[in-house]
Amino acid sequence: MSEPLAREELRPLLRDERPPSDAVVVVRGGPSSVERLREHARRTHDAYVLDGQPLWGVSVFCALDDVGTASIDTLLRRFASYRVVHLPTVGQLVAARFDLLPSFRRPHFTVRLEDDGDPSLTRLLDALGPPEANPYHGRQRQGRS
Amino acid sequence: MVSVDITCDLMDEDESGYVWTFLREARDPSLIVPGAIVIAGDSDASAVAEVVDIVEKPAGPVVHLRVLPGAIEDYEALVRRAITPA
Repeated sequence: MSEPLAREELRPLLRDERPPSDAVVVVRGGPSSVERLREHARRTHDAYVLDGQPLWGVSVFCALDDVGTASIDTLLRRFASYRVVHLPTVGQLVAARFDLLPSFRRPHFTVRLEDDGDPSLTRLLDALGPPEANPYHGRQRQGRS
Repeated sequence: MVSVDITCDLMDEDESGYVWTFLREARDPSLIVPGAIVIAGDSDASAVAEVVDIVEKPAGPVVHLRVLPGAIEDYEALVRRAITPA
């Protein structure tokens, strides 16, 4: 019998809420690559388990509201450190067979991967879509509002 | 190219509402103390951050980081103004 993993259980840290609709936009800082996603997925794996089982995951934020802290505008501003962002919809991630776990504080989600192998990570990279310029990156330096 | 003090995913926030990463991800763990101002992130995206606390977790010490507004270059310009004689 294997020893329990020395990791924190994520289940109590999941929010009890309805899944976001397919049209909701997901924000993921970029640019992403298989190697970068693997690094992040492994950090989640090293910290957490889900129902006692290994978990690989990547953090995203969902634009759940039209205004306020969970709006697309606020999220892009919040993640202004990212020169580019990936903006798939929930539907695109679900169609690629990824679960979105409503983890920690709204509107944070963990995209769950089945493992950290190239096929899973490549599928996620494809589902994230192409990187797009973050309009808030560098704004302060340029003196714009 | 920016050298980060502690590698993390700037989108990895936990129940604290802060960015988290393992202390073992620090280039020099002695720099990572509560209140320290550090460069956090990776070669693709990095930011100035304040170390909030270090908590013991089952998988090892975890650092919480408060990402400060603005880009690293903004802080560089600030320091340059501050130390340049008027």
